[in-house]
Amino acid sequence: MVHIVKRMRKLRELLWIRVGPGAIIFPKEVSRIRMEFNEKIAGGHRGARKFWRDMLPRIKYRNPSVPMEVARHKDKDGPSILEIYTNTIKPALPASSSQQTPNGQASSSTEPSTDTPQKAAHTIDMRMAQESDILAQLIARTGATVIKATEAELEELAEIEEQKERSEKDRVEVRDKLMAQRREEEMLKMARGEIVAEN
Amino acid sequence: MAHIRPFSAPLSRLGASSIASPVSCTRLSSIPYQTIRCAAMKAKPAQQKKKKTRNTFIQYDLKRADQFTLVDAMHYIRAFEVGRNPSSSKYEMHVKVRTLKNGPVVRNRLRLPHAVKTDIRICVICPPGSKAAAEAKAAGASLVGEDEIFDKIKEGVIDFDRCICHTDSLQKLNKAGVARILGPRGLMPSNKTGTVVSQVASTVQNMVGGSEYRERLGVIRMAVGQLGFTPEQMQTNVKAFMDTLKKDIAQMSDRITKEIHEVVLSSTNAPGFSLNGEFRNANSIPTKDISGPL
Repeated sequence: MVHIVKRMRKLRELLWIRVGPGAIIFPKEVSRIRMEFNEKIAGGHRGARKFWRDMLPRIKYRNPSVPMEVARHKDKDGPSILEIYTNTIKPALPASSSQQTPNGQASSSTEPSTDTPQKAAHTIDMRMAQESDILAQLIARTGATVIKATEAELEELAEIEEQKERSEKDRVEVRDKLMAQRREEEMLKMARGEIVAEN
Repeated sequence: MAHIRPFSAPLSRLGASSIASPVSCTRLSSIPYQTIRCAAMKAKPAQQKKKKTRNTFIQYDLKRADQFTLVDAMHYIRAFEVGRNPSSSKYEMHVKVRTLKNGPVVRNRLRLPHAVKTDIRICVICPPGSKAAAEAKAAGASLVGEDEIFDKIKEGVIDFDRCICHTDSLQKLNKAGVARILGPRGLMPSNKTGTVVSQVASTVQNMVGGSEYRERLGVIRMAVGQLGFTPEQMQTNVKAFMDTLKKDIAQMSDRITKEIHEVVLSSTNAPGFSLNGEFRNANSIPTKDISGPL
């Protein structure tokens, strides 16, 4: 098992999932989020991937009942979009509520769809966009509330940051020492090898 | 030649830079002095205290550790697994036990109330055409036979995850020489693991939807759930797993003492969350929120 100290440190750093960019709470009508982008970053899909890796966990943590889906295709010219589905009826059963209507352009022309909304309410094009831009767009379109980190949390974050810096310094020190040791051993081995060769 | 040898040891004391330089050549004259030094060095390891060997795994105190309720842990894990393929990511359980390093290990198989993996492929080695073969096929074995399986294995084609053997075919199996291929993969049937049986059908039935666990280095690991499971489903699965485990440990209590030290819930892409044994606490989110699809 991974060492307890290592695990606990990782858990302490869990704070990152609670605060930071992406710590937002969606209004009630957001029912589903879907992302689609390439598997590789070529073709402007870098921001999309970054968004998924860094910010989507935070969003998911704050909105556990909203299903979030990521579909990744192999075509670099393919779509790079983020779709937000909404329903007008307040979700009695989140995610699996049967009556969901896309009210994107406030058009009531479409009939109340059956299981899944046919059309996304908002679509954000993520091609060539930075992850922070994507988040800003998402907040603007949905009207989500951003959660600010508290004083204590900020303090703890700073502490973690400081510890990381310190450990990086220590790491360099230890590595230098180890390398010196290894170098010496290698030299010795070479010296011994030369003796053997002379024989 | 013989008098050059002793130089190698003293050289180790020198800085790396002095080896290549001609300075070391001047030392060739002082052979007696250096041989003495060499002897002194040889004597050193004998004086060193012998390190006491430890026969248990290192234990740690859990008092200061962060522990989570099941619902909280699932809340975090689901956030970490966002956007992953729900069928490929699994919840897994790690149970640390207080035990001897060289003692007997816990090893068993169980069937969880909510199956984690359903597409398991089982190979049954029994005489083709016999009653057992028909039963095995009916129970859901994907491969049944004797010689053709051995040939396949020898070719390196192993398209099954479990292998069981009928008692009548054991001799043939041992003679076939596939142990070298199956053994390292943990697929070789043997009495010890309970994979040599006479009631093939019931074993196959248990294996389909069942999963195996064993203790390695003082930790028992097993997949306990799919990511889509609700907290209640997970609770029953975790309970079933822990109960079986405790029963196993109780069975070997006459020989050795084992105690459960820590229980950790993790998943394919999430860190491990040490569980405190409770289902949820006052600050946990409602279970309904994490029951839906990911």
